[in-house]
Order: sequence, then C-alpha cells, then structure tokens
Amino acid sequence: MFRYESLEDCPLDEDEDAFQGLGEEDEEIDQFNDDTFGSGAVDDDWQEAHERLAELEEKLPVAVNEQTGNGERDEMDLLGDHEENLAERLSKMVIENELEDPAIMRAVQTRPVLQPQPGSLNSSIWDGSEVLRRIRGPLLAQEMPTVSVLEYALPQRPPQGPEDDRDLSERALPRRSTSPIIGSPPVRAVPIGTPPKQMAVPSFTQQILCPKPVHVRPPMPPRYPAPYGERMSPNQLCSVPNSSLLGHPFPPSVPPVLSPLQRAQLLGGAQLQPGRMSPSQFARVPGFVGSPLAAMNPKLLQGRVGQMLPPAPGFRAFFSAPPSATPPPQQHPPGPGPHLQNLRSQAPMFRPDTTHLHPQHRRLLYQRQQQNRNQHRNLNGAGDRGSHRSSHQDHLRKDPYANLMLQREKDWVSKIQMMQLQSTDPYLDDFYYQNYFEKLEKLSAAEEIQGDGPKKERTKLITPQVAKLEHAYKPVQFEGSLGKLTVSSVNNPRKMIDAVVTSRSEDDETKEKQVRDKRRKTLVIIEKTYSLLLDVEDYERRYLLSLEEERPALMDERKHKICSMYDNLRGKLPGQERPSDDHFVQIMCIRKGKRMVARILPFLSTEQAADILMTTARNLPFLIKKDAQDEVLPCLLSPFSLLLYHLPSVTITSLLQQLMNLPQSAATPAPSNPHLTAVLQNKFGLSLLLILLSRGEDLQSSDPATESTQNNQWTEVMFMATRELLRIPQAALAKPISIPTNLVSLFSRYVDQQKLNLLETKLQLVQGIR
Amino acid sequence: MLFYSFFKPVVELKNDLSICRTLHSVDQYLNIKLTNISVTDPEKYPHMLSVKNCLIQGSVVRYMQLPPDEVHKQLLQDAARKEPLPQKQ
Repeated sequence: MFRYESLEDCPLDEDEDAFQGLGEEDEEIDQFNDDTFGSGAVDDDWQEAHERLAELEEKLPVAVNEQTGNGERDEMDLLGDHEENLAERLSKMVIENELEDPAIMRAVQTRPVLQPQPGSLNSSIWDGSEVLRRIRGPLLAQEMPTVSVLEYALPQRPPQGPEDDRDLSERALPRRSTSPIIGSPPVRAVPIGTPPKQMAVPSFTQQILCPKPVHVRPPMPPRYPAPYGERMSPNQLCSVPNSSLLGHPFPPSVPPVLSPLQRAQLLGGAQLQPGRMSPSQFARVPGFVGSPLAAMNPKLLQGRVGQMLPPAPGFRAFFSAPPSATPPPQQHPPGPGPHLQNLRSQAPMFRPDTTHLHPQHRRLLYQRQQQNRNQHRNLNGAGDRGSHRSSHQDHLRKDPYANLMLQREKDWVSKIQMMQLQSTDPYLDDFYYQNYFEKLEKLSAAEEIQGDGPKKERTKLITPQVAKLEHAYKPVQFEGSLGKLTVSSVNNPRKMIDAVVTSRSEDDETKEKQVRDKRRKTLVIIEKTYSLLLDVEDYERRYLLSLEEERPALMDERKHKICSMYDNLRGKLPGQERPSDDHFVQIMCIRKGKRMVARILPFLSTEQAADILMTTARNLPFLIKKDAQDEVLPCLLSPFSLLLYHLPSVTITSLLQQLMNLPQSAATPAPSNPHLTAVLQNKFGLSLLLILLSRGEDLQSSDPATESTQNNQWTEVMFMATRELLRIPQAALAKPISIPTNLVSLFSRYVDQQKLNLLETKLQLVQGIR
Repeated sequence: MLFYSFFKPVVELKNDLSICRTLHSVDQYLNIKLTNISVTDPEKYPHMLSVKNCLIQGSVVRYMQLPPDEVHKQLLQDAARKEPLPQKQ
C-alpha cells in the first residue's frame, strides 16, 4: 500500500516518481472520506467509544444472531464459532460502517443537538479539494526534501507512548456528523488517518505526504472546540504557497504570525522537554536542531484538550477528537493565544525562547496573547503594526478560516521556513543581514540609552545553526532499475549552457573600441581588487576564529593580498620603476575606483600610501575634471588626512609642491597657475591643501630639531604658496570640508599682517567671518 | 534572509501604479504582500482607495524603491561581491 521502503531510503533529493505511487493511495483514501465527513464524523470521547466497544463485545453474539440477514454482516460467520471469530469480528466491527450498529445508533441519536453548525466555509473547500489533489503532487515535489526529513523526524512509534495507543488504534471510531449545509461526502467506516492496525507508522507518513484528503472541516465551535490555534489542515498547507492559485482567501497574516509562534514552541519545546518525545527520533535528521513538531502537539493537545493523545497513532484522534465534554471555556475567540493559555504553566518557559522570533513578530504575539487574556485591546507596539494588528484582531474575531489548520500543520510550515534558514555559516550566507544589524546594534549601544538593554527592534532573529555535514551526493537509484536516473537538483545541477570564452583579438579596432575596452579592463581590475579588499577586511575576523598555528599563515596571506592590491592599483610593471600614473588615474576616474582606493588606503604601508597620495596630487586637476559628475573625491579626504599624520615633513613638502604645482625654485616668476586654480576651486582640493598646510605647520612647530634643509625647503615652499594664494581671487574658491585651526599661525610666520588679513579673509580662516 | 526589515518600499508596478507602505512578506517568486498601503497618486487610481492590504505578483513589479537610510549601500555592495565567492572556492 505504501512504499515505505523507497520513501525511507531515498535521500533528500527525490524525484516525482514516488508520488505517483502515492497517487494510487488516493483512491483508497477516498473510501475513508465517508467516515470522516459522513456519518462517522461524530465527536466522541474515546472513553465513550471504548465503552461502546465493550458493549459491542457483549452484544456481539446477540447482534450477530439477530442480524443474520444483514448484508454488512455477510462476511461474518454468524452461526459459527463465536469464540474463534470474535477477534476477527471485533476487528471487522471496528472498521465497518457503524451506522448499522445499534449501540452507535443510539449514541448518535442522543446528540442531534450537537450537530455542528455549518461553518462559513462554503463549498469552495470541497471544490478546492479536487484542485488541491491535483496540485498536491507538484507542490509536494517541491517540498520533498523537507517532507522526507519530516518523515524521518516524525516519531514512528513513541517508545514511551502510553498504552492508550493500542487501544485508540483499535477502538471503534465515533461517528462523524453530517453538515446540513456543506453536505458530506459518503460515509466511511474508518476515518481517514486510521492507521491500519499492523502499520501505524505508514499511515502517519501518509498523513503528511498526502495531506489532501483529510482535515478540512468547517469550524464548528461547539463541536470542535479545538480552536484556531490547534487545527491544522494540510489543505491549508498546500494553499500556503499558492494561495492565489486556489483562490482561497488567505487568512491575513495569520500563518506568518503563527509560524513564529510555532517556532517558539518548537524550540521551546525542544529545549525544555527533551524527554517528552524521544529525541532520538529526531536524531535521524542529520543535524537538524529543534524539530520536535510532534513533541509539541501532544503537549498542546494534552494541555488543551485534556486528553492523552500522543501523535502517531493518536493522529487519527485529532479528527475523531475532542470530546464533547470539553469545557466551554475553550470556545474563546480564535487566535494563537488560546493554546498558549492552556499551556499556562509552560508559557513562561517559552518566553525566553522566543528570542529567535523576529522582534516585530514577537511583539505581535505577546500583544495578541495579552489581548486574548485580558479581553481588551493592547495598543502598544510598533506604529506600523498597530493598525494592522487591530484590523487583524477584528478579522480574527469572526475569522471564518479559523480551525483549518491543525497545530501539526502549522508546525510543519514553520519548520519548513526555519529549515530554509539553516545555514552552516551565517556570516557568509547572510552577510548583509548580519552586518547591518551589527552596525545597528553598535549605533544603539553608542547612543546613550537609559533603558535596560538594547531595544527589541535590534534583536536579531536567531536562526538555527547547523553543523556542516559532508555528505557525498549519491544520485537517486531505484531498486531493480537499470542504470541511474538523470536527475538534476540543487546538489547536482544540470549544465545549461555551453559557454565558451573566446577572446577577441582584432587588430583594427577603432579608437572608441579601444577606449571602451580599456575602460572595461579597468573595471575588471577594480573588481578583482575589490575581492582582494573584501578578503583583507575579513582577515581580522578569521584571525580571531582561527587556531594559533594558522595565524602566521593568515598574516602572510594577508600581506600578500595587500601587495597584490597595490600592484593592481599602480599597474604592474615588474622590475621597473613606475613612471606612468596612467593606470592609477584610470582607476581613479571611475567612481567605484575612488571609493575602493579610499578603503584600501588604511591597509597599505606608509610608503605605498604616500605614493598613492603623491600620484593623486599630481594628477588632481584631471581627476577633478573627471569627478565633476560623481563628486566622490571627498570620500578620499579622511583616509588621506589620516595618512598625513604619519608622513614625515619631507614628504609633506613635496606633496605641497605637487599639489600646488609650484615651480621648483622660488626665483622664477610664477605664471598663472591653472593647476592650483583647479585645485582651489574644488572642495576636495582645497580641503586637502588646507589639511596639508596644517600638517606642515604642526610638524614645523612641534619638532624644532628638524634639519635646516628641510626647514628651508619648507619655508620656500610656503612663500610660494602664500604668494599664489594671495593671487587667487576669492570668488573662485570652493568651500572646504573642514578648516584646520592652526592655519592662521602658519601664515603669520610667512607673511606680514596686511597680507595675513587678506589671506584670512580669502580663505575664511577665522571662524567669525563665515 | 527572513529580514522583515522596517522597509517601507515604494513599489512601482509595470502599469505605472505606485504603492507604498509596509512590506509584509516576500516569497520565492518575489511576490510581495504589502499591508496598510497607500497609493502615491490616489487621484489617478481611485479604485485603490479601499484597499488596505495587497498581494502583488512578482512579475508585475517594475521597481522597488527602498528607503535609503535603511539601506547600507556599501554593505550591500560588499554582500553582492561576496556572494559568488564561495562557489569559486
């Protein structure tokens, strides 16, 4: 009936063949529909059912004799050895249509009052079932990996299940009620999900793998007081990914809200109650952490319904269900709160474990919980969610789609979602998220918060961490088949395109093409250097994570990468001096090149960095011209200024010379200096100049024991500089980013007062002027 | 990943309709659910006045404009550069 062997043996990558086998089981399941939705669908207490069975046993010999003509009893040996056939008959009795049974008939007649109210679910559910059936296949195919994991994860037989298990699987099932409005499919003796007595496990598997058949039922509050929070319908499961396909109105935001809750419970349950369900059952799922789906369900049920109904064979019991004797308090407004309420004793334990929820969801849950408890609105919370939540509450009050999903189903969905988040290296897989929230946390930590810790908004969603498993991919094989299937999957992707790289080497390229190619080459170089840069930036983290022995190797790698970065920047001309700045200038013409240089600078050695700076200064007008549109040059200012603090005064002097394009000797009359003009007219240029001057001043003033040559040089340069500065009309000056404060003293050394005033005014050196 | 960051994107559709407000969820096909929406130009699309929440199919989205202060551009670029790396290695 079920292909257990193949299902259990197959690795996670499955193809769709298995589902065809399952399709055959559909027909068999149909037969069970009757009993689920037809006359067999009656809520009953298992105790009552048990009593009835006991009655049956007593009555059997009598009934058997009385109903010799009954067609249903044809199979039974009515007049034979009752003792011998008793067991057989009993078993048959269990699965037969209980309408005929007088005891049950009696029972049913006593409960016309408790007929379920028709839910507001219209026939769309029933109609939808067909659609669902058809789409079940492909849907499940998509989720096959998770389903097979689920199959592994689900308890096949809880070892410490109570003995009620056996009884439950064998007791007579209570009758299902018929819904007058919705109508009911033909009556079946055995509800769907009844495990055949021999194999309890497979039916459970079947439940999950063939979610279609069963569980949709209209919400019937008096009858099935199991609230919204508990019911789980695989129909909904199917409809989750394709809600638009089915046209079902999708309970707005309910599953997403619930699934974090389920997650909370999952993880909470896993951590708190390991003994509940044997964890070894879940150990079969390699590395999967915290998936006691089924662990939660019995707990929920127990807390909620007051029954001892462990999942696997008791799964069936979900539908045969909650006793009508369950107290009315459980008819509270649907919402995830209810079953939380019932787990009152355990609820406080859950809270710490909800840290892994997204903070907004968690807040949402708490508030809904409180709402349900206090029966009044709780209006704190994020503003965005507030109005959304309130509308949601209204919706929940009279939610026609409540009770569609069982707890198990919801757990399943959330488990799928969480599985997607598993990652062996969250830093790598989820780089942006991790870093973004790190930065946010740093920001909030930096601010003075008088609270008791970081705000809830900053809390990260803690995703399950899975140890990396090395498993060789083994392609799917079926027993008895020749050869292997060619299946392409995530682990074994099919080669789509045969792309061959051909390098174009045309001799007669046009000029534009050459330019374009050059730019492309530069872009490629930039990207390569960026990769190196990212690696280098990452080294610190790796260093901390690595072992002692590996550290020198890491450092070497890092140095090597830095060198290659520098080579990339300057253009590799091995063995020679680098006369041409061209390469560097090309890089600097491109916006991301500039940003990259700004990021690389801190990693370079001082000489290398000074070289870069020199080149920049030399070519500054050109760069300024190119930067006119992007205006990214100012980003270079801060690394440059940091660098300047490390440079000796010689370098500073020559830098200044370069920057202002000053002639070598003071004697030559200076012609008009377009270089300087350009520099001064640009924000970055002017700022750089000012910082440079300030640094020179610092050096001069702080270190009186400098060599005289340097001093002289500096003085000369300064004279020239001031001369030039005086010549520039003020209107042409840009507004610098920052003005160092010691420039006044700088200039005062080299010029007289009048000119000093002039300079001050021009350069707006004095604070008050601006 | 599961990053319901406090985005308030402005979603511009291919039919020139611009919707903004809270991003609720996204799925693998980049279908977008927005809650509490407001249409940027209500006069032009009066039929959207009554709509509070919507599901937008991924294929009709032209742009999604994210609020710039929520997005760290440099980090995003780094993440994009890092992504193909493990496969190479």
